[in-house]
Amino acid sequence: MTDHGQENAQRFADAGRPAIIRIEAVNKWFDDFHVLKDIDLTVGAGEKVVVCGPSGSGKSTLIRCINRLESHEQGLIEVDGIELTDDNKRISEIRSEVGMVFQQFNLFPHLTVLENCTLGPIRARGLSKTDARALAMEFLEKVRIPEQADKYPSQLSGGQQQRVAIARSLCMRPKIMLFDEPTSALDPEMINEVLDVMTELAESGMTMLCVTHEMGFARRVADTMVFMDHGEIVEMASPETFFSTPKSDRCKDFLEKILHH
Amino acid sequence: MVRGSKKPRFGILDVIVLAAAIAAVAYVTYRVDSVLVYTWDWSAIPGYLFRYDEDLGHWVPNLLIKGLITTIRISIWALIVASIMGTILGVMRTSQRLLPRLIGWAYVEFIRNIPPVPFLFLFYFFISSQIIPLLNIGSALDQASPATLGVVEFLFGPANLIENFLSGLISLSMMSAAYIAEIVRAGILAVPKGQYEAGSSIGLSKLAIMRYIVLPQAIQRVVPPIAGQFITLIKDSSLVALISIQELSFLAMEIAISEQRFFEVWLFTGLMYFTICYACALAFGRLEKRMGRHLR
Amino acid sequence: MSDSATNSGHPGPGATAPPTTKPAQLWWKSTWFDIVQFVALGGLLVWLTGRGMAAMDYRWQWYRLPRAFYRVIDGELIWGPLIDGLLVTLEIAAWGMVLTLVIGLVTAVLRLSDSIAGRILAKVYLETIRNTPLLVQVSIFYFVLQPILGINNPLWTGILCLAFFEGSFASEIIRAGINSVSRGQWEASATVGLNRLQAYRYVVLPQAVPLMLPPLTGILVNLIKHSAILSFVAVFELTTEARNLIADTFLSFEVWFVVGGMYLVMTISLSSLVALLERRIRARG
Repeated sequence: MTDHGQENAQRFADAGRPAIIRIEAVNKWFDDFHVLKDIDLTVGAGEKVVVCGPSGSGKSTLIRCINRLESHEQGLIEVDGIELTDDNKRISEIRSEVGMVFQQFNLFPHLTVLENCTLGPIRARGLSKTDARALAMEFLEKVRIPEQADKYPSQLSGGQQQRVAIARSLCMRPKIMLFDEPTSALDPEMINEVLDVMTELAESGMTMLCVTHEMGFARRVADTMVFMDHGEIVEMASPETFFSTPKSDRCKDFLEKILHH
Repeated sequence: MVRGSKKPRFGILDVIVLAAAIAAVAYVTYRVDSVLVYTWDWSAIPGYLFRYDEDLGHWVPNLLIKGLITTIRISIWALIVASIMGTILGVMRTSQRLLPRLIGWAYVEFIRNIPPVPFLFLFYFFISSQIIPLLNIGSALDQASPATLGVVEFLFGPANLIENFLSGLISLSMMSAAYIAEIVRAGILAVPKGQYEAGSSIGLSKLAIMRYIVLPQAIQRVVPPIAGQFITLIKDSSLVALISIQELSFLAMEIAISEQRFFEVWLFTGLMYFTICYACALAFGRLEKRMGRHLR
Repeated sequence: MSDSATNSGHPGPGATAPPTTKPAQLWWKSTWFDIVQFVALGGLLVWLTGRGMAAMDYRWQWYRLPRAFYRVIDGELIWGPLIDGLLVTLEIAAWGMVLTLVIGLVTAVLRLSDSIAGRILAKVYLETIRNTPLLVQVSIFYFVLQPILGINNPLWTGILCLAFFEGSFASEIIRAGINSVSRGQWEASATVGLNRLQAYRYVVLPQAVPLMLPPLTGILVNLIKHSAILSFVAVFELTTEARNLIADTFLSFEVWFVVGGMYLVMTISLSSLVALLERRIRARG
């Protein structure tokens, strides 16, 4: 384990939560570009982790590795006790435990809002249509757009689409939710409606890993802040420490750019 | 859209265009009437569309309509065969493995770069001398019951010309498959990567992602251009006249020679093709508007 | 929280991290293995064709083919029919391209204009070409328009016909190229005081022409391909010469293989040029 890993384990032991995600000495390359360098990160059940960093720092790649949209080439990733390998059966087991919300929403344009939400429960979980529909309506109400259920994604605003995407993930009843810059593609006036839904979700006790630049949201919600740069975890701290006394210069630079303008 | 979207109005350009058009019509009329001293005679044409059969006691289609039916028949078959081949090739071209990509690429590039006419001559010769005899169609049809023969004739045309029809069909399908492969490839590639990712993130298997997410979207994108390929096939099927398949162009050629009425026969044949293709184009245009409404 | 967190980003000589290199790829997943399989498949195809021909008792007589290219009579070099045909094909393509560009440009201008008659004329022309087979167009040009217009050379009838056919595609390419320049560019030109012509000259065309070049080169490929159809009306281009040669010598497969190869050399080299141009343009953004 690297120095960083020890620190990570220390932080983790202090909080006294059971681990739900374990990432140890993970490396990944895109051709010759080393995107993830010796990443160590452990996330406890119910913990909210916000990952930030400049673009190209590997933060999206990291969370995409957790449900194996990307595969890592070295190291260990364990989600809820299951190690991620090439074994396809395990991958789909893990994927149904891990929800993911994308920057570009990625709603299915040929399906209605309701069908978007019921597709996974019916085809992956084997739920009946009526059960899936009831489940979907429950979560559409949670994200406050039950009235849009029969519309197509192209008829909704960006903020509404992203809320549907969150509901779609929740319909799989995941243990962990991953957010990959969920508000970056939104017009400013729509950002808050999505952040509100995410905050409520956090309050309900969901384990969350968010890549985001919304520092206000991070301060409110995060248990742990992770700062990445050039494929490494440079800094990891509670939000209070992170924002008041960042240790590295790279992190200070980044916070300055993102907070003061 | 910048200039074309302006409101049309009558200007100097209209005067020039109209003057040129009138001059062209006047010149053609002058040449036909005064120099060639040609007398138009369209009277033979209707007889080639339908003729009265004394034995049967009713009207039956004659050469031009028969040719048109063969043209449509070969185009429909070629569309079916080429769609199957093209879908396989198109999926191969989007494969993650290099080998299927290379095979698909080589086929498409070969067909796209070889002129259709030499291709037809070479393959017709090869197919009709090598592949068709293997199928042993002639003897199979000799033994067929009248009912089977009726079905076969409805599907493939007159029994004595079936081998010839199949040779043309295979050649035509091979050419069209390359273009359909490109349409299918584009359709699959047009489904964004995020759709696959979203599908797998809600726990769907690869097969389920294909079945419920990618294919429904790809099909909505692919159907209109494949319908357009049908029009292309109706036009390209005229090429098989060169290898003596008795479709519309071939029969038009024969009629023009036997009647010595080149002007009338060719202009009328052109009109027949135009009517079919234009009607299809209008119909498919509607279809295209109706499909893919939700794909942004 | 230990201080080492900030150090892990800068592993010095004494860093504890193990040397991390990318794991090697499995050989049967490598690109080269796929290429080898592809070449093997190609070989198999050639072998099967050879077997088929052998089964047909076809007598290969390649030695008779050079005469189709050239002969030396009394120390004088005389080009054979295939070379003559090739030259005619190239002539058709070259003149055809010039006329295609003229027709395409005029049609594009008419379509982009605000003239009613101009737009109708362009529309009628485009729909007629699009909805009839090239073979029928060739027949109408050769059997109807040639006598009416009094053209006394079938070669020129053929070139004219192909130019009208390809011109419909060229006009679409030109129109699409001009339309691809965004409305904002016109507005920006107007705000810096350029008139319409200047906007075309200095802003729109410099952006649109590079976009048009690859598809217009593609039209040259099509001209070469489609010129073969003129063999239908006794224009002595490559395919006609090939058919006559086969009628004389019965060397069907030799001649078609060679002629197919000649066409492929011309079209593939031009197609590669198209691909190169496209890549250049994409690289420039």
